[in-house]
Amino acid sequence: MSDRVTLTLRAPLDESIEADSIVPGAFASLGDAEIGALPVWAGRARRVLADYFDVRGGRSATVRIVGDVRRAHGIGTGMAAGDLVVDGDAGARLAAGMSGGRADVLGSTGDEAGMAMSGGSLRIRRDAGDRVGAGLAGASRGMTGGEIVIGGSVGAHAGARMRRGLLFVGGDAGELAARAIIAGTVIVIGRVGPVPAFANKRGSLVVAGGVEVPATYRHACDYEPPHVRLALTYLARRYELSLGAGLVEGRYRRYCGDAGTVGRGEILEWIRE
Amino acid sequence: MYVNGVFIDDTFAEAFPMRAARIVVTAVNARWAREAALKLTGFATSVIACKCEAAIERELEPRETPDARPGMSVLLFAMDTEGLGKRLVERIGQTVLTCPTTSCFDGLPEAEKRLTPGRSLRIFGDGFQGSKVVGRDRFWRVPVMDGECLLQESFGVAKGIGGGNFIILGADARSTLAAAEASVAAIASIEGVILPFPGGIARSGSKVGSRRYKSLAASTNDAYCPTLRPLTASSLPDDVDSVLEIVLDGLDEASIRRAMRAGIVAACLPGIRAITAGNYGGKLGPHHFPLRSILDGHADARALA
Repeated sequence: MSDRVTLTLRAPLDESIEADSIVPGAFASLGDAEIGALPVWAGRARRVLADYFDVRGGRSATVRIVGDVRRAHGIGTGMAAGDLVVDGDAGARLAAGMSGGRADVLGSTGDEAGMAMSGGSLRIRRDAGDRVGAGLAGASRGMTGGEIVIGGSVGAHAGARMRRGLLFVGGDAGELAARAIIAGTVIVIGRVGPVPAFANKRGSLVVAGGVEVPATYRHACDYEPPHVRLALTYLARRYELSLGAGLVEGRYRRYCGDAGTVGRGEILEWIRE
Repeated sequence: MYVNGVFIDDTFAEAFPMRAARIVVTAVNARWAREAALKLTGFATSVIACKCEAAIERELEPRETPDARPGMSVLLFAMDTEGLGKRLVERIGQTVLTCPTTSCFDGLPEAEKRLTPGRSLRIFGDGFQGSKVVGRDRFWRVPVMDGECLLQESFGVAKGIGGGNFIILGADARSTLAAAEASVAAIASIEGVILPFPGGIARSGSKVGSRRYKSLAASTNDAYCPTLRPLTASSLPDDVDSVLEIVLDGLDEASIRRAMRAGIVAACLPGIRAITAGNYGGKLGPHHFPLRSILDGHADARALA
């Protein structure tokens, strides 16, 4: 048993691999040789982790990945416990289906990070691709719990069909952010792209950097929403984020919608004063 | 035993189990947090007639509250969990929900046993309410005329202790009140303890039942009333003409012990003749606080000799 398992990439990846066997909870009961023998798929070829990584340590749910793994997809899939740190960029579907534990990517991720997440904490220090926190293809729900905190910007469809949970974006969000969210909260400190919170049922899209509010939303009032203050205070304390007092204490313009659905959702646009 | 020349009676305070909640009220500023907390803790001196005992525990800085606003921490005690749940719904609903700018949070997040007053109060929103989960907790957004009232759904229940006490016997009313005030000031900084009576001080100490009126649950403690000295079996020394009581409720024995120690030492001022405590011979409750043991280390040298 060791303090942590460290996977160090031997050489830059010249092909994409499916590395969904890298799951901290599963490593807790495996020695280094067993971890090294876990399967990895490169196209149709079945390989093992030891083909790509030096494995140090074993029998620990604390995992650190060293090296540029932006072509390694599915890392942390279904993780339910433990700690995962990626010491750089990571590929697509990072922490998809996550239900517990903590994942921290010091760089950026590909598409579908935190997809279908139901619990735990996923932090991405830089940018994320499309469909972060969204649902599996064809699924009626996106993330149903947990927290995703992204320091940079995200692509399209962020938080799509979210049922519950908190998605924070420190930069901008692409088109169709918070699409068809059922409930839950998406906070974007930068700008959001076209058609935000389309088909929103009861969710909240909070935007600080500018939003073009669709015609299917109606202005309700300008006020200080206590839940936004609570959520921002919580995020600032837990993730040591530097959020200006103006954002936390400020007033927001509340729009109710989307009128195309039950219309119980909202877009909250920060009022710069 | 003497402390600063004040005789400490060789007796104990007797206290009983209660159930407790800690409520954190925040508002746009300290004034409105206090307004809500004062109403929340109003008419809550004794379970005998108020169904609960409550008081402000302390003022909270913005860095201590969940939403980074000024706040007040309140402790509320009832005889059982069911009663505590009812009081929380009544009091939060009528005093915090109604007060401008306030939000209401649980102050016992580690407690396993939970009550859900927020879930009960959410229906004031008449279907327009909504909820948010932040961290591990659910919060209800109840629409009100100044915006929204944010209420945490669940509140922790602690096994608290009610009825800790000590009694200050003074030469006259002025010096006795000054000593009681000094006690209250000394206890104010101790966490986990409240003094539910007005200004933290009770003048109408009671005994169980009544010698004349059978329907009364409690009546005046005639043994400590100076005006009745020749008319009853008085417990008062000849040089005592005024008596005040400090009643304490706390989250645990250690908090009450700390508070009694600080309060009694602070009360040992000129004009005070003795400190004693109320008990029922050990029949009322399992929590006993012997005064001399609590004050161990504070006794005057001459008394130890």
